[in-house]
Order: sequence, then C-alpha cells, then structure tokens
Amino acid sequence: MARRRKLWRFLRFALLAVVLAASGFTLYLDFRVRHEFEGRRFALPARIYARPLELHAGLRIGLADVADELRDAGYREGAREGGEPGWFARSGNDLDISLRPFVFWDGAQPARRLRVAFDGGSVLSVRDDKGQEVALARLEPLAIGGIYPANNEDRVLVRLNEVPKHLVQALIATEDRSFYTHRGVDPRGIARAAWSVLRRDRLQGGSTLTQQLVKNFFLTPERTVTRKATELIMAVLLEAHYTKEEILETYLNEIYLGQDRDRAIHGIGLASLHYFAKPVEHLSLAESALLVALVRGPAVYDPYRHADRALERRNLVLRETRDQGYATMQQYAAARSAPLGVNPKAGVGTSPHPAFLQLVHRQLRREYDEKDLRSEGLRVFTTLDPRVQQAAERVLARKLAQFDKEKRFGEAGLQGAVVVTDGQAGEVQALVGDRDPLYRGFNRALDAARPVGSLLKPAIYLTALAEPSRYTLVTPIDDGPFVWKSRGAPDWSPKNYDRKFHGMVPLRTALAQSYNAATARLGTEIGIDKVLANVRRLGVERELSPYAATLLGATDLSPFEVAQMYQTIATGGFRTPLKAIREVTLADGTPIRRYPLAVEQAFAPEPMYLLAAAMQDVVREGTGQGMKNWLAPELNIAGKTGTTDEQRDAWFAGFTGDRVAVVWVGYDDNRAAKLSGAASALPVWAELMASLNPEPLAIPKPDGIENILIDPATGLRADMTCSGARELPFAQGSAPVERAPCASEVGVVVEQAKERAKSWFERLFGR
Amino acid sequence: MKARFLALVLLSGCATGYQTPAPVETPGTSTTQQQVPVVIARQESPAVAGLLESARSDAAAGKLGSAAATLERALRIEPRNPRLWHELAKVRLRQADYSQAESLAARSNTYAGTDAELRAANQKIVADARAARAQ
Repeated sequence: MARRRKLWRFLRFALLAVVLAASGFTLYLDFRVRHEFEGRRFALPARIYARPLELHAGLRIGLADVADELRDAGYREGAREGGEPGWFARSGNDLDISLRPFVFWDGAQPARRLRVAFDGGSVLSVRDDKGQEVALARLEPLAIGGIYPANNEDRVLVRLNEVPKHLVQALIATEDRSFYTHRGVDPRGIARAAWSVLRRDRLQGGSTLTQQLVKNFFLTPERTVTRKATELIMAVLLEAHYTKEEILETYLNEIYLGQDRDRAIHGIGLASLHYFAKPVEHLSLAESALLVALVRGPAVYDPYRHADRALERRNLVLRETRDQGYATMQQYAAARSAPLGVNPKAGVGTSPHPAFLQLVHRQLRREYDEKDLRSEGLRVFTTLDPRVQQAAERVLARKLAQFDKEKRFGEAGLQGAVVVTDGQAGEVQALVGDRDPLYRGFNRALDAARPVGSLLKPAIYLTALAEPSRYTLVTPIDDGPFVWKSRGAPDWSPKNYDRKFHGMVPLRTALAQSYNAATARLGTEIGIDKVLANVRRLGVERELSPYAATLLGATDLSPFEVAQMYQTIATGGFRTPLKAIREVTLADGTPIRRYPLAVEQAFAPEPMYLLAAAMQDVVREGTGQGMKNWLAPELNIAGKTGTTDEQRDAWFAGFTGDRVAVVWVGYDDNRAAKLSGAASALPVWAELMASLNPEPLAIPKPDGIENILIDPATGLRADMTCSGARELPFAQGSAPVERAPCASEVGVVVEQAKERAKSWFERLFGR
Repeated sequence: MKARFLALVLLSGCATGYQTPAPVETPGTSTTQQQVPVVIARQESPAVAGLLESARSDAAAGKLGSAAATLERALRIEPRNPRLWHELAKVRLRQADYSQAESLAARSNTYAGTDAELRAANQKIVADARAARAQ
C-alpha cells in the first residue's frame, strides 16, 4: 500500500515536473517569439551608388555611352508608352528616356520623360516631354554594391500593400492553401503533402508559411524531432500574437530567393529587382509565379542556369493559381505563354567594382561603426564614374594580357593598378586593384606600396623652380658622374637608365629624360630636407627616410598615394584630399553627412606652372613621348614615367585637362623584370585616356610668369630666325638676358616687343 | 603668330567673362605648350546658371550647406569657372571656415584672368578671412 502510494506520489511529482517544464519551455519560446519577432529588424546593407550622370547641353558624352549606363542601371531598351518607367529608346541621334523616380541625397526626383539630342560625341540638347529645354537632368545613379550583413544577405524591404495581389495569391496557392484559416499548423496540409509525396509530384510541402518563417527566422537547419516540435509550437505562438498580414509581410521580406555569386538574394523586393530589374509593384502574373517557383529551391529552379526547369515549375505555379480560382483561364493562358523574361544582365555579386568599394568602405569606417554600415541601410553616394571605371578595368586587363602573351617584360602573371581622379575636386572616378576587376582580395591600388622610381622627381624640380634666381627651366645642370657620401650610409652613385652620362643639360631636359645623376645632384644641392618637406606638402603623408636615395624613388608608395601627390600638381598647387564619397543618407533619404570639397593652397602658382611645363616636356620630347601613338600632342599632357632598379616596377602618372591618372605595372613577387614606365605603364595610361576623349591641358598663366623665345641649343634668347626656337615660361625677370648666336640684336628686341604686346592684349581681353 | 593675334582680336569681341573649360587650339608657331588660347564665354551655361541661381538664393536664405553643395555640383560641370569658386569661398566665409574661404578665393583667382572686379572681391575674402582668424 505504502509502496503504491509512494509510486503514485512520485508519478504525480514527475507529471507536474513535466508539465512545468513543458509550460516553462513554451513560455520561453513565447518570450523568444515576441521578443525576437518584434525586436528584430532586418539588417539592411549600406547601399553604394555611383555618381549620377548629369546631362546638359555641351556635355562630352556620346549616345552609346548614355545608353550603356541606362542599360547597366536596369533600364530596358525600346519604348513602352504608358507602361512603367525605366526604359530608353533610340531614334536617330536622339535618345528618349523614361526615368524612374529616385530619392537623391537632396530630395526625391519623380519619374520623368526626357529627350536627349546628340551631336557626335556630345549632348546637343535636353528636353522634357513637352519639348521644353531642360538645363540640367540628373539620371538615376548606378547601384554599385553594398556593405552587407553576415552571409552577404541582401534585401530590399517591401510593404505588403506594395506587393501585387496575384503574387500573394500564387504564393498561397502553391505553398499554403489554408494560410488564412489555419492557426500556424495545418494538419490537412501535412496530409496533402504526404499524399503528394506518394503521388511523387512533390508540389506541396507540409509546412505552412508560418512554419517556414519560424524555421528561417529562429531555428537552425538541422532536421530533428525536437526541432520540428519547437517549430510547431513557435508557429502556433506566432499566429497567436500576430496578424496574418504581419506574418505574410515578414515572410515576403525574409524568404531566400537566389544567389548572385557571393551575394544572397533575400525577400521579394530585391528578387524583383535582381531578376526583372523592376520594383515589386510592377511584377506581372508570370513574373510573380517565377519568384514563387523559386521559394522551393532557388538553386534548382535558377532561371539563368536551368531555364527549362524554372519554366516548368513556374507553369506549375500558374496552374495551381488558376485551380485555386485566383486566375481566370485567360489570365492563366496569357501568363503561361509568356517567356521567363529575366533581366539578361549577369549578376556580379556584392559589387561589380570591389576595389573601389574597398576604398568607400575604408572612408566610411572613419565615421561609422561597422555594425551600422552592415545593418542600417545607409545610402552612400560616391564619386565613381562607371564609364571611367569600366574603361580602366578593360584597358588594364587587355594590355596586361597582351604583355603576358608577348612575354615582352617577363613571364606571364603581370599585375597592375589604376587610379583616376577628376583633377579638380579630388574625386576618385575609378580605382582598379587587380587585373581581374572582380577580384575581391588584395587591392594593389590602395595597399601595394612599391618603389616609385622617378615619380618623386617632380618634387625636386618644383623645389628648384621655386627659387627662380637660382633655377629656371633652362639652367644648365651637370649630368656627370655623381657620388653622394654621408656618414653612416654607403656611398651612393646613381646611374642613368641608358648607363651614360650626358654632361651639362638644361634643367627641363634633365626631368624630361629623367636623368638620375643630374637630378640627384640637383636634389642634394637644394637640400634633401627641403625636397622631402615639399613631398609632404604635395600630399604624401607617409614618413620618408631623409636619404639622398629617397629622392630617386627608393621609397615605397601606393598608386593611391601617388595620385594624391599628382592631384596637387594638376591643380596648380591646391592640395585636395582624394575622396570617394559625396553624401550619405539614412535609408529613408534623410541626409546625414556630406563630404565637402576641401582645398588648401600649398604652393604658389608660379613654380607649379613651371613644373607643369617641364612635365609637359616629358611627354612632348622626353621619356613619355610614346604618348603620341595614342593621343594628339595638342592635348599638352603632362606626366612622368617611373622605372625602378632592375626594372621591377613600372609607373606612369600624369594629367590631362580633366583627369589625373596613375598606373602601376609589376609582379607581385617583386621579381626583376624588363619593365619600364614608358613601355608598360604608359601604354595602359594612354589607351585609357584615349578612350575617354580627354580635354587638352591648359593651365592659366599666373601673373608672375612671362614667356620668352629661347634657342634650345644654348638656352639663350632667340629670335624668329633661330631654327627650333621655343617659347618657354619664366618667373618674371628670371629669363636669361644673353642673346643666342643665332639671334640678332634687333630680332631679340622685336621678340621682346611682341611678347609685351601680347601680354598687353592678354591683360586687356583675358587669355 | 598672325593667327594667334587674329584669334585674340576675334575673341576680344566678347569682352568680359570667364574662360570656359574647353580651350580651342589655334595654329601658331612656337607657342609654349601651356599657352593654348581659350574661348571667352560671356556667361555660364544654362545648366550652371541655374545651379548658381539656386545656390545664391539658398545662401540668401541662410541655407549655407545646401548652397555649398549646389556650388560643388556646378563646379563638376565647369571646374574652371572662377565665379563658382568665388561663390563657394563666400559661403565658407559665412560659415566661419576661414582657411577654406582663403584657399577657395585663391583658387578663384587662378581662373579669374583679367576680371579685376572678381579679383578684388577675392582679395577682400582673403583679407576678411585673415582678419577673422587673427581675432
């Protein structure tokens, strides 16, 4: 008796414990459901945009380039009158554009129609649909990637009321017919699933939409009984707390619908943009059915890789939709005969331009938490010019492949990097860090610090030219053998590239021919410290060792740092920090930060003007003269080649009237090769610029500069009778007074009078 | 030389104004490579004129941040328009960003050519900025 009572008591106790544990577990699940469902906001990646193209009369861009950019932004070719915006159509030299609405950092721009007329390589006029002239039309910027949450989950949130009814109906017909009536779990659905497994058509799964959501939302993917039980309980709890609409909306935003390389496509909003390049509200029945088809297996039914399977599954979805009475026979027939219609543009993963994105990411991290960047849905408007970026990627890949093939500089496997800026405001227009533009690893443009060779030489000549009483462009410099002795360092005696010494040469020729002995002598004469101080003022922040060899480029800089330095030269001495970002807004478009244009005058305009003239001579008659094979001499390009010891690194840095660009070419393992700036980096630079229709370089002449006719042979004053005489700029009063043997006294006086008259005209009427 | 003179005389027909970004090449012997004469435009392109006007009205309404942003937008279209650099310098001066005001005014001067009025206005910005900084 006592034993039975004892057992009974024990059983009651055990039962109580089980009930308590079960209800405790349920309470815990209930807490989790409410807490996480409510507290959870979808992590939204920061979205990165290229610069918007701003069309106006006179802009130097051709019709084909504008069309390319629209196509890249997902605009469709061919007019669709009355349909949704987002298309363009060509007629002769005109381009009709139906712009989608877009929220810029400074406000929303509604959908609008434009007609743009072209005249060869430039825009003739921009008009609206009423034929009115539009002064300035801003196109929607290209989305160029994001900074993604864990697993590179990407999504674009939608509200349930934006989702077309037929999409929801197709989903319910296919995935969960009794969604609106069940309480989270559907026994009939499970039975039906079992039946369909027996029938082997496997259309229906047993899980309700609620269960699917719970599974994706709270649980890990392993298949165990406890997990299934937890799923059922949580589904019931979710239904108890939230409305069908809330659950459906969350489901539509959560669901995984495909993979774009390393980027996971989540939610119906992004899937719509990814597969059809249109917002969800414009999806047709057929398109909606394809997205619903993907729910069951985005990889299996991938419309790009398995178009047949995808089509079959889509039509199955359409049939179910019709069978459930959501579509008429006519609608069904029309949708069934429609092609898959997916956007032909191949996906490019997290970004088509990962190297540039790295730069953006780094600049953002100065102000933002990594966590916020990956979850708050910030919108980042950058300076990337897609046309320039694509050209830079294309040219670098093509030239390196050609060099590899010819084995011109060594074995295959050359690498390279390119940086292009606007030359005025310091905006980075393009950045390439690998010959494969989609490579997401080591970014040579930012992180490969390589010896710069002769690229620092302009700083030496700038320092010299800032003392016009000692140095002018024609001052003779000794390019004889040179030895530098300093305590604690081995003797240093630089050789010239051609292994010869050239005696006395004019200063501008020493730079144009990149003579090392002459330059080393000049640099040590004016003082290494002075030169290095100027390198810093040009914008190089890295600490440089105060040795003579540093002057000739025994110093490591990244292409990006070199671009910063040459940017200052191109602007005539105004240091402007290179930037990749213009504005940042919240997800809803509220502006939160601008990155303003900042300039600092670091040098007087006169020596800068003289330096630029000398650098134009590099291209005109010096080591950069190969440029003429690609670009007209009238463009007056300025630049400098760079080649390092044993020809391991090749550089070219220079500028046109509208851009600064730096190109580095070399091997990652730093092997000795046969590289030279002129033969390997310059062709990349030149071909890139040639494809961008550059503006000629025309630096305004500062007040303190005068032009004097000079006989190049002697560096003395010339007249019209001297053959090969050239006008050269000099700081006021610094030009030689002596007359060259070829010039007559009268001739020189005439030249002086002409110069005076010309500058009088210039003063009167502007240059 | 003759062609160059002719060009200057022709250009002088449209007196005051700024250089447009697009220089025109003229034939001529022995010109220095930097001495490409430039066409003189009487005023900004309509695109820039519209932006300039909206920047000015923003500035008048005290919306300095927005005015600066609009001027930068205009500068992307006409980076060599000294009037735009000047207006931006004015905005920075009002924002008490004196070093920027000074550098931007200097930048305006490099493109101002013989526009004495603009040069004087830039000098005034430099002087004001220096005075304010000295305080």
